[in-house]
Amino acid sequence: MVAGLGRRPKNGPKNSPRNRPKTKDTRPIWMEKPKPAMQVSKAIALVVICFLALYPLLAVLATSLSSQSEIANNNGLVLFPKEPTFAAYQTIFAGGVVTDALIRSLVITTVGTALSLVVTVAMAYGLTRRDLVGGRFFLMTALFTMLFSPGIIPSFLMVKELGLLDSYAALVLPTLMSAFNLVVVRSFFMNLPQELFEAAKIDGAGDFRILVQMVLPLSRGVLAVVGLFYAVGYWNAFFNAMLYLNDDKWPLSMILRQYVLLGQPMGDSAVAEIAVPSQAIQMAVVVISLIPIVIVFPFLQRYFTKGVLTGAIKG
Amino acid sequence: MHSVPTSGPSRRNFLSVTGIGALALFSGGALVGCGQRTTSVASNASEALLPTHMPLKAAAADIAGTAEGVPAAFYKYPAPFRSVETAPLKGSKITAITNLFGTAPNARADNPAWQAIEARLGGQVEITSVSSDDYATKFNTIIAGGELPDLMLNDGAAVPNIVEFLQAKCADLTPLLGGDKIKDYPNLAAIPEVFWKQTVQAGKLYSLPIPRNLTGGSGFVNQTLLENVGVKFTEDIKDKDDFYRVAKELTNPSRNQWALGSTKFGLTMLHHMFRTPNVWKNDGGKLTRAFETDEYLAAIEFAAKLYKDGLYVPGSEGWTKSQMVNSFISGKVAMIYDGLPAYIGPTGYGRSIPAANKANKAVPFIPVGHDGGKAQTWLDNITFATVMLKKADESKLKEVLAVANFLAAPFGSEEYLLLNYGAEGADYTLDSNGNPVVTERALLDNAVPWKYLAAPQQVVYDPSNKDIVDVMHNAYSKLIPLGVEDPCGTLFSPTNASKGAKLGQPVSDAATAVIAGRGTMDALKSAVADWKKNGGDTIRGEYESALAK
Repeated sequence: MVAGLGRRPKNGPKNSPRNRPKTKDTRPIWMEKPKPAMQVSKAIALVVICFLALYPLLAVLATSLSSQSEIANNNGLVLFPKEPTFAAYQTIFAGGVVTDALIRSLVITTVGTALSLVVTVAMAYGLTRRDLVGGRFFLMTALFTMLFSPGIIPSFLMVKELGLLDSYAALVLPTLMSAFNLVVVRSFFMNLPQELFEAAKIDGAGDFRILVQMVLPLSRGVLAVVGLFYAVGYWNAFFNAMLYLNDDKWPLSMILRQYVLLGQPMGDSAVAEIAVPSQAIQMAVVVISLIPIVIVFPFLQRYFTKGVLTGAIKG
Repeated sequence: MHSVPTSGPSRRNFLSVTGIGALALFSGGALVGCGQRTTSVASNASEALLPTHMPLKAAAADIAGTAEGVPAAFYKYPAPFRSVETAPLKGSKITAITNLFGTAPNARADNPAWQAIEARLGGQVEITSVSSDDYATKFNTIIAGGELPDLMLNDGAAVPNIVEFLQAKCADLTPLLGGDKIKDYPNLAAIPEVFWKQTVQAGKLYSLPIPRNLTGGSGFVNQTLLENVGVKFTEDIKDKDDFYRVAKELTNPSRNQWALGSTKFGLTMLHHMFRTPNVWKNDGGKLTRAFETDEYLAAIEFAAKLYKDGLYVPGSEGWTKSQMVNSFISGKVAMIYDGLPAYIGPTGYGRSIPAANKANKAVPFIPVGHDGGKAQTWLDNITFATVMLKKADESKLKEVLAVANFLAAPFGSEEYLLLNYGAEGADYTLDSNGNPVVTERALLDNAVPWKYLAAPQQVVYDPSNKDIVDVMHNAYSKLIPLGVEDPCGTLFSPTNASKGAKLGQPVSDAATAVIAGRGTMDALKSAVADWKKNGGDTIRGEYESALAK
């Protein structure tokens, strides 16, 4: 039955590591029990490494919750704000500009990632078929874009001629497929056992059915990683937004970039009568832009190494 | 008529040097030596080149401005008057590209200020705006796309060969604004001549100025810390030895306190004390770059002495601006260099220093000469930028200029209130003294960058504190008369445009090394010699021939 071919058994074979009876000490017999001093030193090393990794994040978060005078009195580095304030976040979210941009970014990222995955998977699958006419030519054409990018002005002219200026499609279509991701997905597909495809064909399955019912279920790991690559790309992309869109359509990345660049040009005596704790705002911007990735990454992390290695060592 | 005492040409001189030029310059297709002050053979047109200054009969200032360019100052917003009677657009639309600083504005549909402004304009202005960091990329792609907006900000950096671009794509405004013709646009006519001089390129009036208050100043001092060491006013510092003594007394590392500390050593105040020229020195048509002068070398030598004796915060030359501001606000540093406009406004030093510590007060640094004589400041903030108009038929140009006239409504007018504070009620209310008090939504409603498309001459205005207005006006009154213009500020040198920054970098690096104690004065002089050899002399030659024409 073709339908069941792609499914993995929920529990592994009886002698798989997962099903072995658990012993008190799972350490292999050749490995000695570590001495307490070694364990303590390892723990200290891990704590230090964790601290080094968390320290900048903590400083960013704490600064975003501080007032301008507190930041100034601590020379720009606050770890524990005495009087935490959400003023920076209130300033950023006031008026709805950032909220609107957040919604725009979510839609662009979701739609863009979905379209990119569809196009990448379709092309990658096509390029794994040995009987595809001109397959090598299409592959080389895609790889060519990894070596030679079109440049800013030709890209702009292309988007303009297609009538996409000031439309959200200008953020998705020019970057719809990444050649790198195509190579990663194609490599993964090529390493699936050919016998499965042959069996499916004997059972009468067409390419579309093979792709959807066999290949995709076996490729969840690589799709998660490539999807993450695309999603992070769409989420962070500000340059195309700057180039192709007017400010009323800017995604979150571009709006937040404006906050980061917030600074008065020399001679610009701002007449706006609202005090802006600018360093706190800059840090709040970093926090806001980190949140989606921090939420998504733990769920995809287990696929991450596998997916990256697929692209790195298999060709 | 406003004029500025400078080493550069006076108006008469200026008009006389705008002689033959463009024809000779461009007939060969090369841009060698082309300059903004060159003009066509029809030199009698230059008499009518600069717009005539026609001040408006506006409300009297609390402290009047001066003919030298010292801005007027106001303690409160005067009774608003209407400066534009008829709507400049008749249902039509114009387009523009300019800078946007900070947040993107609320969208038009949810922005009462935007709607009110376009109601007064009688049509729409479609503004494409990006931050100054992105402007060159965006503007150049738009130029490549071929569809230029009607109004375009010229920030001085986005287009490398600006003269050629102006001649090919931009409207010559001389027939529409030159001389008395500007009377049709009274708000533009109220902008003094010193600002219009910045808009002359290749002998023609090619753009509109966005005025600033002429000088960026000499930095700031923490007045409280200064008073602690017995100096009441910065002008009381007699000479460089006295400056050194004061700096020494202000420094106390055990109390985390230093006299000096600024990004790149904040050398401007020292250059002003040593009378270093403003970029170039013009000696009867012969140009000398500032770093070729003895004054520059003496200032660097003095900075090196201050650094060696520990009067700078260690490592402060690499500070970001935020780090410098934080150190100044917290009292760690007593003297910094930042632009003079950073004093005023809600986040300016005038308010932020006392907010952090009530006992502290910041004031602009007014320099004295290193030898006890007068210092020499720089007129380095004459305009923010200029705004070019796309070539079009005369009726379209007049329509766009009428919009610019509206946007250049002066302080004290209804239009200025609308453009800077938004719609009354939604964005601001007037307090009992007639000062606008903004609402929460004002920041995002007023973020539409109207003031970077056309603007009036600036004034000093801060209703929160009379003292801040007095201090700021006093600083302008003392700094502007000491100011000199960059004689090449409005000239164009193709070599400077293409590789001027790259050529100057080794000199700047050598000066940094001298101050930080890693290099010698001989190495600095040798870097200057290399600059001359590698293209500095070519730049000089191009500017000199532009000056001579």
